[in-house]
Amino acid sequence: MTEAMLLAAIVTVAVPLAAAAATALGAGGGRPRRIAVAAICAALASSLAISLLWSRTDGTPLAFGDRLGGGSVVFIDGITAVLLPYVAIVELAILLVAPRRALDAAAVARLLAGTAATFAIFLTSHPLVMVALWVATAFVTWVSVRVTPGGRPAARTFAIAMANAVTCMAVGTVLLLVDPPWTTAAGWVGTAGGWLVAVAVMIRKGIFPFHSWYPALFAGAPMSTALSATMPQVAAYTAVRLLIGHVDHPEGVAAELVVLAQLALVTAAYGAALAIVQRDLRSLIGTLAMSQSAMVLAGLAGTLPMELDGAFCVWVSSGLALTGIGLVTWALESRAGSISLDTPQGRFWDAPALAGFFLLFGLAGIGLPGTLSFVADDLIVSGTLDDHIHAGLLVIAATVLGGIAVMRGWFHVFGGPLAGDGPRHAILPRERVALTALLATLFLLGVWPDPLVRALDRATGRLLGVAAQEAATGGSHDPEAAAGLQDLPHGS
Amino acid sequence: MTNHDVVSLLVTCQLAAPAATLALVGAPTLLGRPPSEQATTRIVGAGFTIGFLAGLITLGVLAVRGFVPEIVHFGSWFSVGHHEATIDLVADALSVPYVCFSTGLCALVNAFAGKYLHREPGFTRFFLLLALFGTGMNLMVLAGSIDVLFAGWELLGISSTLLIGFFLERGNAVRAALRAFTTYRVCDVGLLTAAVLVHRAVGSGDFEHLFGENWPNGTCLVPAATATIVSLLLVFAAMGKSAQVPFSGWLPLAMEGPTPSSAIFYGALSIHAGAYVLLRCEALLEQAWPARAALVVIGLGTALHANIVGRVQTDLKSMLAYASMTQAGLIFAEIGFGWRVIPLVHVVSHAILRSLQILRSPSALHDRHELEAALGGHPGADPWSIGKLLPERLQAMLYRIALDRGFEEMAVGRLIVAPFMRLLELAARLERRWLALLGGDPGPGGGRP
Repeated sequence: MTEAMLLAAIVTVAVPLAAAAATALGAGGGRPRRIAVAAICAALASSLAISLLWSRTDGTPLAFGDRLGGGSVVFIDGITAVLLPYVAIVELAILLVAPRRALDAAAVARLLAGTAATFAIFLTSHPLVMVALWVATAFVTWVSVRVTPGGRPAARTFAIAMANAVTCMAVGTVLLLVDPPWTTAAGWVGTAGGWLVAVAVMIRKGIFPFHSWYPALFAGAPMSTALSATMPQVAAYTAVRLLIGHVDHPEGVAAELVVLAQLALVTAAYGAALAIVQRDLRSLIGTLAMSQSAMVLAGLAGTLPMELDGAFCVWVSSGLALTGIGLVTWALESRAGSISLDTPQGRFWDAPALAGFFLLFGLAGIGLPGTLSFVADDLIVSGTLDDHIHAGLLVIAATVLGGIAVMRGWFHVFGGPLAGDGPRHAILPRERVALTALLATLFLLGVWPDPLVRALDRATGRLLGVAAQEAATGGSHDPEAAAGLQDLPHGS
Repeated sequence: MTNHDVVSLLVTCQLAAPAATLALVGAPTLLGRPPSEQATTRIVGAGFTIGFLAGLITLGVLAVRGFVPEIVHFGSWFSVGHHEATIDLVADALSVPYVCFSTGLCALVNAFAGKYLHREPGFTRFFLLLALFGTGMNLMVLAGSIDVLFAGWELLGISSTLLIGFFLERGNAVRAALRAFTTYRVCDVGLLTAAVLVHRAVGSGDFEHLFGENWPNGTCLVPAATATIVSLLLVFAAMGKSAQVPFSGWLPLAMEGPTPSSAIFYGALSIHAGAYVLLRCEALLEQAWPARAALVVIGLGTALHANIVGRVQTDLKSMLAYASMTQAGLIFAEIGFGWRVIPLVHVVSHAILRSLQILRSPSALHDRHELEAALGGHPGADPWSIGKLLPERLQAMLYRIALDRGFEEMAVGRLIVAPFMRLLELAARLERRWLALLGGDPGPGGGRP
């Protein structure tokens, strides 16, 4: 089973990478979308195989290659098993909905290379490998924005943010490896390393006051680039592997995590509030994405399994919903140009099917019962309120304000009389298939969330060390996880 | 098959029938092949009728057995540690009559709307939202746990918002929908927080762990302090949906929606959703005198406000909206006084009368002409108006207050909404400047693919 999982991991990264190389070399003629879709479908199949195989294990993470210490080059656990298919679904939807003129060979190659690097990040826990992959994903995104007409301001903003993030990450990682806080009592070098990694995570996740690149990227980049760069949330994954897995839960959290959590909470509420007064649809999506991303980090930095489970559920649900909203926006823009929110635009009469999808994705992102976001909101609000009342109130504020922003966005885009006598734009079959599949995933996980929540709970229990503690005291949060805790590379 | 199995099946039918119509009409619509008008009306109507009949049979079964409550467990939805969300429904003396009443009314409005909205753009959308509302209403009414109740409550809010904004081409409808949604969203915080507190207090969201299962004689099973906090949060949540002062401004604006939905939402069911939740949790209110006192003050205050303001309205639907608000306020006060059956009877009778009035409102002029023809002239003003008994100066002052809708809009708008929005606009401006500084000159070209 181990070999099969390793093989599937290699396929998940290698196939998109090979397809990127083939597309860059001109394979596929004038239709690079076909190669890309085939490659991501293969990656989706292999990532689902990893999830299936992992669900049959005893919960012990699969780890290979930790010569330099600090992590394993290949690392597969419950979190990997959930996040790999999620990334594949997001990328597949992007490829299917993207307008034809936005998918030339170079753009497809960049998208596939970035996707392969993202898959690779989610398959490792090694700090140095992560640093290299951070550079790779950031570079691919920057090139995509840079070559976009009118994208230079966004590219510059992104470059400033990522240069700082990657530098902090690289220096912090080296300091952590020199003076690892998880093996001995940390000296000032290890502590400084932890803080630098925390700052890197803050920048890459768009946490206040380093948040500006998030809406800028959505405003200036092709939607595919913006979604591919932000929806996987590689910085949250880095935080899980390098910061959260190394602290003495549940007694307390490291100082950098406390600061991260507080700033993330503020960002979640601030981003959602800011979304209410955005003047164009892309900025609205950017600020909402910033808010949701911060909410994920706020939950991950908590001390209760429920908070972490909620954070992972928000990660997946908001990612799928915002991908849907972003893709509908892109489809609308490709038909009739950019969309202002200053006054009602009357797009309903122009594209009723897209209006329906936008509404459903919007509702699926703000806690519509029957969708995963309802479960996610329930878990994260309950968890944060249980942990700290002010944290819970800020999460509730973010949820309330985010919902108002989404509905304002929908009514302002689709409400109002149709301007002019333009043609009615039908939805394309590939758009309908991709958007329906995304929606179906959100509803399926919302109606039947137990398998996902249980898988996440097993993984987060292990992450927090709760399993070991409860097993030792006779409780039974997750005996399987407790049994396997000794195998953790850096169990606290 | 035991009695419990029969009731379980019937309760499932009450919930599943409207939900199934949502899927039957929604799925083909999403795939680009919406059913015809006739098929849509029949499918949604059949769902409500099945729900209504199942409710009636359940009522009969319960009546024979002396209204002993039946809890239907559908198992755990999801669980994390001590936090478990269960899917429990309850059939008792409160929920089943209410389901009969609500599904019956929905079926009637469905039949009315099938003719009223004939060839209206958005015909299918209306019936989808009506089915969503019916599902949410039944979910809320039959809920045996606060999690399920919250799910139904949210569906009610979303369907209400989308129906207020049904005529998307009208600016007023869009503004009214956003106003209602914002009020709902803010007040929903109360129910959400109450749900979390209930989980903390009793380890689950089940009502049977919170206050037993024997409505209206439940026993509060949590400490008085917890009961008081949860009750106050529930009152806050109910104020939004039931348009109580100071959250009442959205209700007259909500009449922008189609008449059939106005009737069922703001004349009958949605406006009383808050009262239903309070009645369901009456055992908690028993232990929470501050919440009961708040209910009396808010209810009577709203009734007085709506009564005065409603008298100067110049259009019929606004007048009816304020009349609904008045009755909802009185029902709140009745619940605050500790009564149980009187508010329930009040809800049902008011809902039937008001929905009939709203449904007839488009024909009001015709009705008036018929009345005048029958009387042989103008019927004249009401000689028994209470307002005329007041001193003239007071009448003038009240008239001024009523014209300004009790200054409620002004107070909420100027003191809360405007400063908040100004702050956000300032933050957004500063963000844009900072981005311009970071990004520099955009250079040649523009737009993006």
